Formats: sequence, C-alpha cells, structure tokens
Amino acid sequence: MNRPRLAIAGLTACSGCQLTLLNCEEELAEVAARFDLVSFPMAESVEGGAPFDAAIVEGAVSTPGDLANLFRLRNSSRLLVALGTCAIFGGVAAMNNGVSTREELVAAVYGDGEKTVESFAPAPLTNFVSVDFSITGCPPEKQEVMALLCALLNGTLPPLATYPVCTECRSRENLCLLLERKELCLGPIIQGGCNARCPATGIVCEGCRGPVREANVAQELELLLERGFGRKEIERRMSRFKPEWDYGQRR
Amino acid sequence: MGSVVELNLARVEGHGSVKVYRQGSRVERVELCLADSPRLFEALLVGKSYLEVPEIICRICSLCSTVHKVTALLAVENAFGVEVSWATALTRELIMQGGMIQDHALHLYCLLLPDLLGVPGVTGLAQKAPELLKTGLGIKRVGNMIQETVGGRLIHPVNIRLGGLGQRVSKKELLRLRHELESVLPACRDAYRLFRTPFPFPELPSPNALAVDPGGDGRSAAIRCRMGGGESFAVSGYREAIKESVLPHSNAKYSKVMEKEATVGALARLSLGVRLSAQAQGVFDEVKHEILGRDIRGNTLAQAIELCDAAERAIELIDRLLEKGQGSPDDVGPVLRAGRGSAACEAPRGLLIHSYDFDSDGICTEADVVTPTALNQGAMARDLLALARGMEGEETKKMTTALERLIRCYDPCISCAVHVLKL
Repeated sequence: MNRPRLAIAGLTACSGCQLTLLNCEEELAEVAARFDLVSFPMAESVEGGAPFDAAIVEGAVSTPGDLANLFRLRNSSRLLVALGTCAIFGGVAAMNNGVSTREELVAAVYGDGEKTVESFAPAPLTNFVSVDFSITGCPPEKQEVMALLCALLNGTLPPLATYPVCTECRSRENLCLLLERKELCLGPIIQGGCNARCPATGIVCEGCRGPVREANVAQELELLLERGFGRKEIERRMSRFKPEWDYGQRR
Repeated sequence: MGSVVELNLARVEGHGSVKVYRQGSRVERVELCLADSPRLFEALLVGKSYLEVPEIICRICSLCSTVHKVTALLAVENAFGVEVSWATALTRELIMQGGMIQDHALHLYCLLLPDLLGVPGVTGLAQKAPELLKTGLGIKRVGNMIQETVGGRLIHPVNIRLGGLGQRVSKKELLRLRHELESVLPACRDAYRLFRTPFPFPELPSPNALAVDPGGDGRSAAIRCRMGGGESFAVSGYREAIKESVLPHSNAKYSKVMEKEATVGALARLSLGVRLSAQAQGVFDEVKHEILGRDIRGNTLAQAIELCDAAERAIELIDRLLEKGQGSPDDVGPVLRAGRGSAACEAPRGLLIHSYDFDSDGICTEADVVTPTALNQGAMARDLLALARGMEGEETKKMTTALERLIRCYDPCISCAVHVLKL
C-alpha cells in the first residue's frame, strides 16, 4: 500500500497538539504502519525530507525561524493542516498582541537590553501561507486528529463542525453556567466539537477552540455586560486564545 | 583550524541544538541552545486576575501542564491564605501521579528506548519491538486516563481549580482507575530491567542533587528545598538561593543554586532519599548502587523506579479517597489581599517553582516561573563539555550521537524552560 508521507512540526507552541497524537496510545502503532512519518522531530530523530503529502503544523509564527520552517513545509507539501488554536488564531502567546509591543514583553522577561530576541507578535499560519484544513482546540481532541488521519488515508478531509459549544453542552443536560449560575462562560460563541468538556465538570468555557462560524459576538457581550462583568474583564477573557474579535459582529 | 559541529535535538520536547567548537580535534567549548520561540509567559500574566493565572500558565507546556497548573494553584492559594480540604489535596496528588506516569512512560518508552534499540524513533520501535512499545504505551495510557478522569481534560486540565475541584471524582471512576493501575503495575515494576544499562560514556561529573524537602504533612505544598551537600532553603526565599543570568545563545536562563550547578529530576529525588512505595523501594534496594553517587546516566533507571512508585502511590491515594469518602465539594473563595505567593512541586523532570505578586484587587503584578529544565541547564552544559572532551579524537558522528543521548538522559522540556523570569 502507498503510505502517505507526513511532516509533523511545531512552531511557537507547547507541543500539546503533537502530544495529542502521541496520546493516541491505542492507535499509534497503526498510525506508524499506515503513514510514513517522514519528518516528526518530536518522535523521530531521522529527517526523511520532502516532498510530503501533508504537513501538520502546530503553533503560531513568532520568529524568522518559524516563518522559514513554515514556508519550507508549505512549499514541499500537497496539503498543509493547521493543528490547534495557536496555529489558527495565534493562541495564548498572542493574547497581548493588542495591548503591548513585542519589545516591551521581551524586555520584561529577559531584562532591558540583556538580550536581542528575534521575535515578532505571534500570528496565525494563514497570515503567511494558504491552509487547507484546520483542527482547533487547546489542545485538540484526539478523535479530531484521528478523523483527519483517516480522511487523509482516503484522499479526503473531514467535515467541518459549525455549531457552538452550547449545542453539545445542552444535549449533555449540563447546568447552564452562563444563564443559571451567571458565570463568564463563552460557550455560545465558541466552536463545538469538544463535547462541552469544561462545562460538564462545572467549569466555564474559556474559549480555547476559538470562534464558531457566524458567532453572535455582540449578543454575548451584551449578555455578559448585563450580568455585571466589566468590559475590560470580558475582553481580557475573550482574547486569551484569539487576540482580535469583532465585538459588533451579529451574524 | 577551528570548526563547529552543530547538532539539532530530536526526540525531546521542544527545539534545541548543541554546538561544539573545536580546534583540530581539541574541544574548546560547547554551547547548549534551548531555541524554542519565546512565548514570554511571565509578561503575559501581568495584568491578569488571580483566577486566570493558573489557566493561562499551564499552557507553558503540554507534557507538564498538570503540575504547572497545580503549582500555580498552590502559589495563588499561598498568596491569599486559602486552605483546601484534604480530599482536594489528595485528588491533586493523584492527578500529579498520573502526570508522572504519563511523562516517564513517554520519555522512557517512546523517546529514549529508540536509543537503546538503535532505531530512529517510534516507527522503528513499532517494527523492531512492537511488544515493548505496546507495554510502554499501555502504561502511558493509564497515566493519561488518571489525568483525563480527574482533570476533565487530558492536557491543560480544567477540573482542578482554585480552592477545590469542579467535580469530585466518582467512586465508580476511582475504582476503574484503580483497576487499570493494577493491570499495569507489574509492567511498571519490571520497567527498570529495560533501562538499567547506562550509555557507555566516559565518566561524567557527579551531580549536585536538588529537590523539595519531603518533610511536612504529606501535602504537595512544600516548605523547603534541599541539596545533596546538606544545604537547604525555604521555598519563599528561593529568589535569594537561585541566581539566574541571561545567555546570548539560549532562550532559557542559566541558573546557579547556592552557587552550584544543580541537577533536578528523578536521580536527584532518589539520591536525596525520597520515601518510596513498597515495590519501588524493593527495586531501589536491588539497584541503588547503580543510582547513588552516579552521574546523570543514572536518571533513566531512577525514572523507571519512579514509574513503579507513581503507580503504587496512585493506588494508595485512590484507596484513601475511597475509604474516607470525599465529603461535599469545597469551594473556598479567597479573601483578596495584596502580596506574594510562592509554591514548589516536584514535576516529573524535577523541582518546579511558581511565584506571583498580586495587588489588592487580585490582579497579577509580577510572575515568576523556575522550571526544571532551566535549573538543569547549567549541569547539562557542564556535562556536554565533559563528554565532548572525553571523546576528543573520536569520529564526529559518534560524538554527536553520544551528546544527543546525554541530553536525553536529562529529559529536557524546552518549551517549559524558555520563558524564564526577571529577577
């Protein structure tokens, strides 16, 4: 059988998306048998080189090195997949993009003039290259990673989920943290597919999967303001995984 | 003529490289570059509320997200004087043992075992040693099951939170975890046989072990840290004991602890005589001459023993939770006050310290995270130089392979290391 050639790489990130693949303990041996893991530095020490059938990329772009790596992968792969919230929206490393400059942050961590770090505001892959498919989540769900791999074996890509966290949350009959407990839950505007993990344990949706298609952001904002949360707090919470929102969006 | 050999690290968490500067065959110096793109977490946390800090900081690293989350919670609770119930403390301890099992199993069976069997990685293992890989992944799976059941999510757990838990872990789930742990315990106990043979390197400098002092009431919040030479310091006073400096070639900071290059992790813990569970103690008694007083190569064997210890401890913790019942969920709201909170925990890779300053509204004004890999960086650089010098005259490829293996003995976590603090 022809084994698809995969590259799996990490840019500015925590390796959690790649770890999600390694956490598929029961499927891992089969993945290794059905795919040629040509380039996967986290698990393989030999680099097979281009071309790839698919490059699966974790992380945001924040250094010239990240950018060079991304261009290399895009140029040598038929498909490019953004894996996880950082790759799609910038993620946690980008949360302060709107409020402080990179130079200020570098100086705060390494000291003034102590170090020149070649670093710019963390940005999503789509700012630089075309992306064929995205798997969201911080971290992504295992079954979504497996669904992608299965689809690749069949020469296709998985369907996109287009419903919010609330859809799965309601069908699990969880207590609504937003309406009944008046907590700062972002469920209505966030992409579902996680089976409402956090609300199911009584913890608000922190928005780790980014905006759902046609999110009614303005309505969520109004609802939270009515509940007495401050605008500053709401924006801080919403920008944790995606720095820029259109707060007037009502689609 | 001078030459530089550069080696890019694979099968470690994150991005790093080693550069060896040579004059002819003589090794002049070795640079360890921890090259992950900086995410500058300490700066990102400033201006965030005390509730957000643990949720954000656990994203520093996926492998260690559980212990980062727990340490952050302990530091915030320390700042506001929050005491959690014993059931919450035990549950946190349980999820940390799950993290220890997953992390050690991943490192030993997926990242390090290829070196022992002479294959490039996981694919080679699946072909050459499918049963061993299956055993390792089976152990790892149980560690992950604990983290997912207790934490609500496998990576970046959500159920453990300030002052308590989102939900208690049900009796049914505890029994299921116990059953799964029992099923892998024999494999955990025997793991040491596989990881007993150290790499055939020239002798390396002996490590200065550093770990939290296990004394106290058995809760995970530690009061003091201690070193092999008998020195110790209070967790709250770590800024005086640990001095960090910025290196031009690395994005992680270089630390000296009480003027020494410290070694943290499994080897350090066992060297300092941490108390082990019954079966792990039995194994340790059998092989301790291969650990005590040995260089960092002993870390691999020490991790294998800890794998057994973590599985046994997890079972004990489950029994204690089952036996006493967990009571109603505690939900302790902190009384906000300005001040600093610090906490230290033993992460799988070693001592981890979090420290946060808050204003009277609970907004973070300063954040500081000291990670195991940042602490180990000095000892790693020292050992790399010693090994490179010890192998002068050998083929370059042989030397770079050995250097890469040495790094893997330290089990570095580079995403963690590259966001170190301002002092």
